[in-house]
Amino acid sequence: MLATLVTAVIDGLAGALVRVEVDVAPGLPGCHIVGLPDAALSEARERVRAAIRNAGYQYPASRITVNLAPADRPKRGAAYDLAIAVGILVASGQLRAGGEAIALLGEVSLDGSLLPVPGILPMVATLVRAGYGRIGVPRPNAAEAGLVTGATAIPLSGLDDAARVVAGSRGRRARAAHLQVPVRVSGPDRQQVIETAGPDADGARRAPAGVALDGASDPVDLSEVRGQPAARWALEVALVGGHNLLLVGPPGAGKTLLARAIPGLLPPLDEGEAIESTVIASVAGLLGPEARLRRERPFRSPHHTCSYAAMVGGGPRLAPGEVSLAHRGVLFLDELGEFDRFVLDALRQPVEEGRIALARASGQVVYPARIQLVAAMNPCRCGFSGDPERACRCSPSEVLRYQRRVSGPLLDRLDLRVELRRVPSEELLAMDDPEPSAVVAARIVNARARSLLRNGGRTNAEISGAAIVRAAGLDRQTRSRLAEIAEAATLSARGVHRLLRVARSVADLNGEPVVDEPALLAAASLRDPREADPSALAA
Amino acid sequence: MIGDESAAAERAAWLALAAVPGIGAVLFARLVGAFGSARASLEAAAAGQLGGTGRELGIPAPARRAIAEGLEAAATRAGALAELGLWTLTPLDAAWPGRLAVVAELPPVLYGWGDPNVLSAPRAIAIVGTRRPTLVGRALTSRIATAVALREAVVVSGLAIGIDGAAHAACLAAGGRTVAVIGAGHRSPGPTAHRDLVRRAIDGGGAVVSELHPDLPASRGTFPRRNRIISGLADATVIVEAPRRSGALITGSHALEQGRPLFVAPGRPEDPATAGCLDLLAESDARPVASIAHLIDDLGWERQDSVLRARLEPPEEERGWLPGSVEQELARIVAAGPATLDALVTRTGLPPGTVAGALTLLQLRGWVRPMHGTYLAAGPLLAGRVGRAAPSRPRSA
Repeated sequence: MLATLVTAVIDGLAGALVRVEVDVAPGLPGCHIVGLPDAALSEARERVRAAIRNAGYQYPASRITVNLAPADRPKRGAAYDLAIAVGILVASGQLRAGGEAIALLGEVSLDGSLLPVPGILPMVATLVRAGYGRIGVPRPNAAEAGLVTGATAIPLSGLDDAARVVAGSRGRRARAAHLQVPVRVSGPDRQQVIETAGPDADGARRAPAGVALDGASDPVDLSEVRGQPAARWALEVALVGGHNLLLVGPPGAGKTLLARAIPGLLPPLDEGEAIESTVIASVAGLLGPEARLRRERPFRSPHHTCSYAAMVGGGPRLAPGEVSLAHRGVLFLDELGEFDRFVLDALRQPVEEGRIALARASGQVVYPARIQLVAAMNPCRCGFSGDPERACRCSPSEVLRYQRRVSGPLLDRLDLRVELRRVPSEELLAMDDPEPSAVVAARIVNARARSLLRNGGRTNAEISGAAIVRAAGLDRQTRSRLAEIAEAATLSARGVHRLLRVARSVADLNGEPVVDEPALLAAASLRDPREADPSALAA
Repeated sequence: MIGDESAAAERAAWLALAAVPGIGAVLFARLVGAFGSARASLEAAAAGQLGGTGRELGIPAPARRAIAEGLEAAATRAGALAELGLWTLTPLDAAWPGRLAVVAELPPVLYGWGDPNVLSAPRAIAIVGTRRPTLVGRALTSRIATAVALREAVVVSGLAIGIDGAAHAACLAAGGRTVAVIGAGHRSPGPTAHRDLVRRAIDGGGAVVSELHPDLPASRGTFPRRNRIISGLADATVIVEAPRRSGALITGSHALEQGRPLFVAPGRPEDPATAGCLDLLAESDARPVASIAHLIDDLGWERQDSVLRARLEPPEEERGWLPGSVEQELARIVAAGPATLDALVTRTGLPPGTVAGALTLLQLRGWVRPMHGTYLAAGPLLAGRVGRAAPSRPRSA
C-alpha cells in the first residue's frame, strides 16, 4: 500500500516542501529510502524502526520503500523522520488517516518521542504558503510554529500522539501493544520522564534544556563605566551610524566593560529586521520552547577560541555562524589579537558585502551577515604603548608589527578608533556618575532615526560614497577644511567618504542638518591613523 | 707641515693606515708614536720591518700584513668612500674640530656626510637618552632640543631610536642643524626608521659622522665607544631619560671625564625609567635640569624668549588663523606635558566632540602631534609660542 505525506526541510534560510511516499509490499524484508545521501539514510532508517517498535507498533516485515521527493533537493536535518514513520504505519495498514490533511515535522527519538528541530519557522512558513495550514510539530517547537500567520500548529509528544492526530475521529489506529518501559535517563541537560501504561497516555515531555543563549551575559549599564569620556562618545557615534569601532587599551582599561554596555544601547529591530533575525535564530536552532519574535538587535560576543565554522557558519548541517547570528546587530571581538587569523580573514566578506557564502560537499548556501564590528585589543604586547607615564617595553617597530598583525585583515574596515587608558581607582571614585544607558540609548535612537529618514532606511555606514557626499551638505569653508585634512592624512577617495560618513553621524548626534566644521574635525580625530609615520615613531 | 706635497702624502698615508681593518684609535696612536708618522709606519711595513715592533705594540698579524700592502690596498678601500660620497677629516686638517682634543683615544679619522664645518659650530649641545622613552621623556627632549636649536646651538646625538631621534627631529623642526654620530660604518647608517632623518639632517646643513670605516658593521663595542665622540663634539651633554645600564649613561661619564658639563633631567623617585639619571645626579657632578629656563641659564646663554618665539611665526598664508579659546586652553595643557583625549576632556570639562575637533585643528596647524593616542606639543608650541600657565617660581619660562 502507498502512503503519501508532506513534510519539509531547510534550504538556506527558507523551507522547502518535501513529499514523502511510503510503499509497503510483499518481498524480502528491508527498508529502502530513496532521495537521501547515504549516511543520513541509514540513520533515519534506524531511528524510525526503533521509534515504531518502542511506541508499541509493529515494524512491518515486508519490503518498505520510502521516497523523499524531489530526489535531487538536498535534505538536511531530520525533520522528515516523523513523516516517514507515520507513512510506514499508514502503508502497513496500522493506521488509517481520517482527520484533515496535516503536514508533519519532527525528529524521532529511539523511544518514539519527538525531538525538536531547528528551522521550524521558515519550514512552517513554506508549508503554509503551499496551502498546508495544519502542521504537526514536536511540542517544544509549537510556540515557534505558532509565530507564523495562518499556521495551526498541533503540538505532538511522540509517534503515538501523531498517529492519534492523523487518525482523527474517523480513522483507525491499531491498538499499540503494551509499551516497553525504557530505563529512566537523566543527564545534565536532558530530563525525560516517561510515564508508561497504555497507548493513550501522553508522556509528559520536557524539552531538552540547555538551548543556547544569545551569547551575551547580563548587559552592563553605561552608568557603571566610569571615566573614559572619549571612548563613550566614540561608541555613541559608532552606534548612531553603524560604523565599525576599534577600542585600544591595556588590560583593565575597561574595553570589555564598555562593550558589554552595548546591548543596552542598541536600537530595537523594525518589523522586517525582527522577522529576519528570528528566522536565522530558528535555523540555527536557538529558538527555545518559549519562542517569540526577537525585537532586540543581536549582540554576539564569540570567545577568541571560536572556530572557523562557528564564526562563519558551516558544519554538516550548514548552520549559520556568528556573523549571521549577528545580522543587523553587533559582532564584538574581544582580544582581537587572540583570534585565529584565518577566522578574522573570513570576516572580510560579511563586512564588505553583508553576506556570507558557504559551500560544502553537502550543498551551498548564502546567509545574510550585515554586521557592525566592535573589536578590542591591546596596543602592544606589554600593553603600555601610549601611556604617558609608563615606558612601553616594546620597541616602536614591535608596536607597529603587533598592531598590523592583530588588526591587519580588518584594518581597512575599522572606521573608528579610540584609545582607553587605565584610570586609577582614586580618580574613578572621585568622578560623577555618568549618564545611564537609557538616556544615551534615547539619544542614539533619535540621531539614528534622523539618519534613517534622510537615507531612505539605511544607516550612514551603509549608504554609497556619492550618497554620503550629498547627505553631508558641506559648505565651502568646511569643504576646504576637508581638503586640508585629506591632504595632511593622504586620504584616498574611499578614506574621504569614510570620514564623511562618521562626520555625518557626529552631526546627527548633534542634531545638525548638515555636516559643519566642528563635526568634521571631531570625526577626523576618530580616524584610525593607519600608516603611522615611521619618523614620527622614531622622533 | 713640511710642504704641501709631503703634507698630502702624509694625509694619504694617515687615511690608509686608519682604514686598515683591525687598526683602531689605540693601535694607530701606538704605531705613529713608534715610527713617527703614518708614512713612516707604512714604509716600515713595506720594508718588512714591522714584525718585532708590530708584535710589541700589539698589532695582530693580519693587520701587520694589511699594513704591508700599503697604499695600493688602501686605494681599494678608499673606493668605498667615493662610492658613498663621504668626506674624511683627520687631525692633520684645519677643519678638524678643536673640541675633540679632550677625547681619550682620539679617533684618527672621521668619515662623514653633510657639512664638516658644522662640527666646529660655536655652540653644540649633546642630547641623549634611552631607546625606549616614555612620552613625557620624548616631550621633554623635544622641548630641550627646540630651545637650544633656537639659540643657534647644534644638537649632537647618536641617531638611535627613542630620545636621540626625538632630539634630532625637534632640532630640525626648529630650523636648527644637527650632527649624528653613528656607531657603525656609513653603509649601515643607523636604524631603518631613521633613513629619512639622515637625509633631512644633511639637507639642513648638519652632518652624519663615524670614526669607523664605511664597510664596518655595528658590533658590541662600537656603540659605547662612539659615545665619547658625541660628548666630545659638544660643549655640554644633556641626558633626558635613562634607566640603569642605559648606554646614555656612558655618554654622560665620558662628558665628565672630558671635563665638560653634564646635565641630567631628574625623574620621579623609584621610577625605573629614570633610575640611571637619579643615580648620576646622586653620585657625580652632574647638574639637574630643573626647567628649560634653568638649563639655558646654566649654559650661560641669553634668554630672549620673545625674539626667539617670533622666529617660529607661522608663514604668511596661515596668519589668518587664530586659535580659538578652546584651542588655546588645550594648547596650554599640552605644552606643559603630554595628555590623552580623556585627560583633556576631564580637565576642561568640555564635551568630547568639542575637544576632539579642536585637537584636530591644532594637529593640522602643527601645534600638537598624536602619538599612540596621547597628544604631545609640536612645532611652535614647543618653543612656547602659546603662553603656558605661569610657573609658581618668580622666574618665568
